[in-house]
Amino acid sequence: MEFFLEILINGVLTGSLYGLTALGLTLVFGVMKIINFAHGTFLMVCMYMTYGLGVGFGLDPYLCIILVVPAAFVLGYLSQVVFVQPVLKAERDVREPVGVLLLTAGLWIAVNNLFLMLFGANFRSLKTPYSDQVFEFGQMLISRPLFYAFVFSLGATAILALFLRHTHMGRAIRVVGQDREAASLMGVDIYRIYRIAFGLGIATLGVAGAIITPMLYVHPFAGDIYDIRAFVIVVLGGLGSVPGALLGGIIIGVIESVASQYLTMSWAAALIYMIFLLVLFVRPQGIFGFEKDS
Amino acid sequence: MRRANILFFSLLLACALAVGPAAAQDTVKIGILLPLSGPAAPIGVNSLNGHKMAVEEINAGGGIPSLGGAKIELVVADSGGDPKNGLTQAERLITKDNVVSIMGAYQSSVTYPSTQVAEKYEVPYIVPSSYKPEITERGFKYTFRVCLTTDLAGREQIAFMERMGRLSGKPVKTLGLIYENSDWGISSAELWKKYAKDFNLEVVLDESYPSNSTTLDPVVRKLKQAKPDALLFASYTSDAILLAKGIAQQKINPMVYMGTAGGHADPVFIQNVGDASNYYFDLAETSPDIDLPIARETNEKYKKVYGEDMSDDCIKCYTSTYVLAKAIEIAASTDPKDIRRVLANIFMIPGQKGIITPYGIQFDEKGQNIHARGVVIQTLNQKRVVVYPSELALPGATIVWPTPGWDQR
Repeated sequence: MEFFLEILINGVLTGSLYGLTALGLTLVFGVMKIINFAHGTFLMVCMYMTYGLGVGFGLDPYLCIILVVPAAFVLGYLSQVVFVQPVLKAERDVREPVGVLLLTAGLWIAVNNLFLMLFGANFRSLKTPYSDQVFEFGQMLISRPLFYAFVFSLGATAILALFLRHTHMGRAIRVVGQDREAASLMGVDIYRIYRIAFGLGIATLGVAGAIITPMLYVHPFAGDIYDIRAFVIVVLGGLGSVPGALLGGIIIGVIESVASQYLTMSWAAALIYMIFLLVLFVRPQGIFGFEKDS
Repeated sequence: MRRANILFFSLLLACALAVGPAAAQDTVKIGILLPLSGPAAPIGVNSLNGHKMAVEEINAGGGIPSLGGAKIELVVADSGGDPKNGLTQAERLITKDNVVSIMGAYQSSVTYPSTQVAEKYEVPYIVPSSYKPEITERGFKYTFRVCLTTDLAGREQIAFMERMGRLSGKPVKTLGLIYENSDWGISSAELWKKYAKDFNLEVVLDESYPSNSTTLDPVVRKLKQAKPDALLFASYTSDAILLAKGIAQQKINPMVYMGTAGGHADPVFIQNVGDASNYYFDLAETSPDIDLPIARETNEKYKKVYGEDMSDDCIKCYTSTYVLAKAIEIAASTDPKDIRRVLANIFMIPGQKGIITPYGIQFDEKGQNIHARGVVIQTLNQKRVVVYPSELALPGATIVWPTPGWDQR
């Protein structure tokens, strides 16, 4: 029983982190209706930032959040200005715009390989005093960095949800997501909203990158393994839904953790994709999604 | 009219004379197929460095004398660890780059299909480090494997544990098998199960996992439940790192950890895991600290250039390059068929120029090196030390058996 509780807790903790990595993806989709294939790449860049600050200046990865999040916001904002916005504007009147999709896929491959050239293919780990530490509850051992990741994931999700709900800018972002033509007619500068939304989406990855670094390793392709999972989570939780991303993440985390105890890990990974397909069949809009795309 | 003809033919002859010898002296192209991107990239880069250093030495020493001092040129292709990609790249190396031989491709899942391409075009394919037994079980005439197979390695791993248990009076009774879920891991696990039966050991955990996982925590937890005496791993680098970190975190205390080269032999493993890498056994085929002077000298030289010890795969790639160069030298030809004929009959011994594996190279009719065998390495104080067999261990190397518990470290 205690063992079951342990794997359940572990699933929830891991899942909340998955949710955080999917948050930016769902926000960017919800507002701009574009799928960002370079999402994992931005995560990887944030991990390198954290690693660099940790090794170069001896900064604690959790302290790094203060620096990495604004840097990630600027990175996202600038990417929007330099890459995405021109393509969006050029395709404004195209019925089915795929330019941005191809653009982000291109960024994904180009930046990953750029990092491979710059930093080599070696795996690096940031050593922190608590990397190998656990919290002990009776027989249960819960990883400390994973627990911190849970706290930060919940915190970041809550802050983003409150921001979207209660601030002027947050409301503007949601309005653009619901109906960009109407928002534009009401005097909202939709490209400004896009820039800020994209920046915010990448900023959430700043948090994720900082809290993943003490647990995983840093590598030019390290973001991609989260990326695929993030897509599954976003579809499961409902494209564009912030609480949906967190819940979707936790569901995936728990399935992975519990199923791996009864099946092999290989089958548990396959099971996640089967559930993904099932959701697409039964409830294509996801758990928190709306029936009709507005 | 007649004059013009004569003029034309003499011109042609002059051209042929001018081009002929120059072409022979030119370069001999050898194709290298390795995973230079994707999760196995660090191992791919290490392997490539081994090939590179050997080629630089050979070229600096006058190239291939029987071909008028022709230089060797490596044509490098990235498989990305993907079998389909490996197929296209092998095809490209042969048909477009006209390589006389191929070496590669690290992952068995890539080597297995790509050797088929080489067989079709009748180009020799040297396999320095892919363990899947079936690679040399198809009666191919152009595939030559330098390294062990999972079959031989699996038997040696389990035989070593049984023997150590008997000698120390602290026998291993139960096994936990943890392996990545592609060709290499699965074929390793099948053999472990077969030999576990032969040596009367019980398998209490049989767990495959995808090597590119974000977390391997579920595997670690299962391990904690099953409590096997000995753990057998077939892991690549990133997964080996995650597993070792997880085991340290959950304070799991098996008597023995036994890796199967791959990720556990990658120097990056110790760098990332630190003290938690101590006491891991690894079945490898060689090591920089082996009691074979030429191997240690070569390692020193390598370390100066690349800043780290030669990995196992690197050593095998280095040796394979010398074997191929020797075969081309004896064949005195760049015709792949001639090179194959020499490779099929070659016999080289350790200590001979460039042969820094602790075993000789001689291929049976299936293309498998009949001398290949393993050495057991243990990581002590974050250093890999050859501990078995004793004739290859340096004086003073001792085995730590069983692994001390986490509270005693």
